Formats: sequence, structure tokens, C-alpha cells
Amino acid sequence: MKTMPPIRALFAAAILLALFALVTRTAPARAPAQAETTASAPARTITDETGRRMSIPATVRRIVSLAPDVTETVYALGAGDRLVGDTNYCDTPPEAKLKPHVGNPQSPSLEAVIALHPDLVLASTSINAAETADSLLKLGVPVYTSDPHTILGMLDSAARLGDLIGAKAQGEALKQNLRARLDVLQVRLGDRPLAHVLFLVWFAPPQSIGSNTFIADALRFAGAESVIVSDENWPKPSFEEILRVQPDYIILTTDHEGGATDIADLRSRKDWQSLEAVRLGRVITVSDSFDRPSPGLIDAIEQLARQLHPEAFVAEAHQ
Amino acid sequence: MKPLTPRRVLAVCSLLLLVLFVAVVISLRMGAYPISIPDIVATLFNRIAGRTDQIPSEFLLVVFGLRLPRIALGIIVGAALSTAGAGFQALLRNPLADPYVLGVSSGAALGAIMSLVFAPHVAGAIQIAAFIGAGATIAVVFLLGRRGGQLDTATLLLAGIITTSFLSAVIMFLMTTLSGRDLRGISFWVMGDLATAPVIDLKWLFFVLIIAAGSIYTTTSDLNLILTGEQEARHLGVNVRRVKLVVYVASSVLTGLAVSVSGSIGYVGLLVPHVMRMLFGNDYRLLIPTSAIGGAILIVVADMLARTLLGATEVPVGAMTALAGAPVFIYLMRRRVR
Repeated sequence: MKTMPPIRALFAAAILLALFALVTRTAPARAPAQAETTASAPARTITDETGRRMSIPATVRRIVSLAPDVTETVYALGAGDRLVGDTNYCDTPPEAKLKPHVGNPQSPSLEAVIALHPDLVLASTSINAAETADSLLKLGVPVYTSDPHTILGMLDSAARLGDLIGAKAQGEALKQNLRARLDVLQVRLGDRPLAHVLFLVWFAPPQSIGSNTFIADALRFAGAESVIVSDENWPKPSFEEILRVQPDYIILTTDHEGGATDIADLRSRKDWQSLEAVRLGRVITVSDSFDRPSPGLIDAIEQLARQLHPEAFVAEAHQ
Repeated sequence: MKPLTPRRVLAVCSLLLLVLFVAVVISLRMGAYPISIPDIVATLFNRIAGRTDQIPSEFLLVVFGLRLPRIALGIIVGAALSTAGAGFQALLRNPLADPYVLGVSSGAALGAIMSLVFAPHVAGAIQIAAFIGAGATIAVVFLLGRRGGQLDTATLLLAGIITTSFLSAVIMFLMTTLSGRDLRGISFWVMGDLATAPVIDLKWLFFVLIIAAGSIYTTTSDLNLILTGEQEARHLGVNVRRVKLVVYVASSVLTGLAVSVSGSIGYVGLLVPHVMRMLFGNDYRLLIPTSAIGGAILIVVADMLARTLLGATEVPVGAMTALAGAPVFIYLMRRRVR
């Protein structure tokens, strides 16, 4: 074995040194950023719905939303003017489309977020990756992540969001209002048997919803129950399984552009036309609000309840 | 073989380091947050002089919190992948060898995922598991790629393809059954990116990179002899088994290191050593250091494009390298067949 010529050792050492200097320079970076925000306003310390702790200014002036449902909630709280940025997917209400975008919810540009100088970033486990919130928090940018799994949880979450951004009254009002509408719906539906539905978030291959999703909970409020029982969030039942469970109704969602698979598509397919629900025309298309844990979901629930249990609403009208 | 003087090695490497430096500076300037070159220079200067209070806090955040760590990670990953590529090429005596093409990256990814499942909070476990995955995969591909006791290019590539698709299927299966667990998405392990800073400190990654790449570097004179003929090398007193073992372990370590923090970024180990061979010849004493620096340059540039091409929306850097790498691979393969 030959020994290393000195010039090569020297050379290797030089690269090592240069790169090491570069790497170590990058390590400690974030302390001063926080100092500035705390100096300008009294801060409050909060814990978000995923257990992350952070400090936010008492008065939140600049909000960036990383999820379509959060964007919708911020507008519903009357704080749309303080929303300084959202994502490419934020299309409800239409004004949200005009805000500066920071990329897709799954992989937003952290730089674009920082460039908007937010004093609070809002995220949701419904669509955002945990890494995004972790990275921003590490950089000293507070990120509040909501974690909705049920409809009532979503209403609490909206109220909490209102409190955070200085719209406590609006938050409570929004929660009470939506809650009241759900109560009215419960009374109307009474103890009618639940409709057994197959909820499809995706048509080919069929993809449904698990029992722990907010959609499953939303269905219960609309007087329905998913025929697919699964711990997975988005299970993919085989067609045989669908044939076996024979749902009373099939529920499809529209996509972002409003286009959708509809009953004509189902009737044109040999396998699907063999289902009783398709033969009887029991196929309902709901808006994509159903995919988002946001205030618009309550509208969608009411609409679905009307379609599944029309007799409940006729009876009420006569009284 | 052209005589290789230390002066030439130094000159070539200095030149490449200069290119890397320019790439780093341009990359520091580019991004969704607008900062001018003078501001970058002032920020860097004030930071080095220790006057952090003179820098706007957001500049500090963007330059030192986001861009520099990401560039440093890119340098480490790029250098590791192309040194590993050059190492595998020497080991298998085949210029088409590359961690991604041979399925070694998929093996490392599978190892990393297993460690996330079974030992989620053990520091460094993911790197060690990725190394074991990489080492086991290259051994399997090596055995499958032999035909009549000899390594055959077509068989080797086929073995790589089969191994990759098998391992990808296992990854897909694991990710589907474990959905809901706190793992990163399938796409990260199939087409890597640098968007998320690794949990492990960059210093340790860099330390391992230097040890592993350095140990390959110590074998380069022997590698040159082995590549002219193992028999002759043995007669000249080269411990062929030992050299091969060093290159095998070190290349697997480098692949595991890169994949554990960035997912599978493809074709870097193929593209860079090949370009360096065209530019500077076949001598491994020059090929290893130039490949390391060249890999760093490639990833820094590719990642800069990945995070700026579509505005605020990020493209995985693995998609960028595959766009450039796949055509080169086809070119190389056709040229060899002819």
C-alpha cells in the first residue's frame, strides 16, 4: 500500500477546510428574527392543535394561509383584508384567488412565505405536510396548525382561529350560527334511518373515505353513513367490495373546475351499471366543499341532507 | 496515460471550486424572496464580521436560515452521490454504474423507511439503516449482474432495473399500509428533494462525507492499476481485495448518506463522473476529486432551478437531474453498444 503524496493530502485538507467553514457558518441563524417581532408588540404564547408551542403578537396584522379550508375560514371570520397570502389551491371565496400565492399547500415556498412578512401563518393537517410547519417554526415564523377530524371540532377550531387573529366575537358568532344550523338539521331529520352511501373522493380507481375523517362525520350530520369501514383515511375499495355492500346512494364530488363524473358516466360502464343505486338513479354529485373542513361544508351538508331525505323537508314546510 | 502532476490536480480542482463558488453566489441570489446582490454581499460581510445587528432580520433568515443550509446540503448530497457513482463505476468496471440506476438508492430509501418505522427517534439510525440498505442492494445487484462468472453490462443493468422496481414496490407497499404514520410521502423516496432541512446536523453529514470520499481517494492510485487489469495490479503489489472492499463500503456509505437526507436523486453519479472523464481523462486520482466538486456544482444549479423555475411552486430536484441525466444515459448506452 502506497502512502498518500503530501500534495494530495494538502489538497484534501484545503477542500475540507473550505467546505467546513461554509457549513458551520450556516448553523446558528434565527435568534435575531424573533427579537424584532417581540419588540414591536406584546406577545402571547399559544399551543396549536398539533401540540406545537409558539409565541404570536397580541395583534395579528398579516396572515398567510397554507390551506384552502383555512383561507375560507379566515374570510368567514371577516379577516380577509388581513390575509396577505395564500396558496394556488385557494379559490373560495373568489377574492382568495387574487391574493399573492406561496405555491401549493403540500410544498409551499418558505421564502415566498417569509417575503410576505406574516406575523401568523395558518396551516391545516387536512392538506399541509408536518415538515412545512416545522421548518417555518425553526426559522422563528409562528405557524398555527389546526387538526380537524370532526365537524364540531372544525367549529371549535374556527372559533379558536377567530380568537387568535383578534376576531373573537366573530369566531364565536360563526361557531354558534353554524352549530344552530346543524341543530335545526338534526331536528328535521329526527330519527330517520341513516342512508347507506358510498362516498367517492376519486372515481377511477374508486377511492372512498375512512371512518376517522371529517367527511365521515359530515355524512352523519346529513343523515347518511359510509358503507366503507376503514381505519385508513382514504381507502381504495375494490369494485367487488362495492358490489358486495350495495350502497343505497353513490356520492361523487366535483373537481376544482366544477367538472365531475356523473350518473351518465356510471350508466355507460358495464360494472357500475350493475349496481342497484346506479339503476335507480341514486347518484348525487356534491360540491368540492365536502372535501374541505371549512364553513362552506355546512352548506354542503344541508344540501346533501335535502337530497337524501327530501320527505323530511317537505314535512317541515307543511307545518 | 497522461502524466498527472500534483500541480495539474490542484489547478483543475481550483478551477472547479471557483465554478462552484460562482454557482453558490448565483444560487444565493435566486429565490422567491427578493434580495439584491449588494444586499447579499453586505449580509455575508456583516455576518462574518459579527455585526448581525446591522442586517435586516429577514435577510438573515432567508440567507442563513433558508438558502445557505439548503445549498450546503446540496453540496454534500451532490458530492456524495457523484463520488459514490465514480466508486461503483470502478468497482463494477462499468461507466453506466450509478446509485440510482443500479437500485442502490432504492435500497437506501427502503432502509431509511424501515428505520423510521422501527426506530423513529434514534439519532443517526436513519443514516445507518440507509447505508445497510445501500450495501445490501449493491451486493445483490453485483451477484445478479454476473454471467458466466463475469460482469456483463446488459445483465448488470437488467439486475439494477429489476432490483429498483422490486424495492420501489416494497416501499409503495409499506407507505400504503403505514399511511397515517408520520412518514414523508412516497414521492420523496422515489424522486428526492432538498426542500426540508434534515434533522441531523449538517456538520456530521459533512464529516462522514469527508471520511468516506477521502478513503476512496486514498485508493485511487491502486484503482488506476486495477482498471488496467486485476492480475497485473496484483503482481505490482496491490491488495485488490482490500481496495475493492474500501471502495464498496465507502460508496455505500455515501449513497446511504445522500438518500437519508434528500431521498433518491437520480443520475448524478452517472452524469458527473462521465463529464469529468471527458474533460480531464480517466485517471482516478483526478476523477474522484473533480467528480465530488462537479456533483456539488450540479446539485446546487439543479436545485436553484428546481426552486425558481415555477415561481413559488417547487419542483423536486430529482426531477431536474433525471431530465438531464436520462438522455445522457441513453447516449452512453448506445455508444457502448455500437
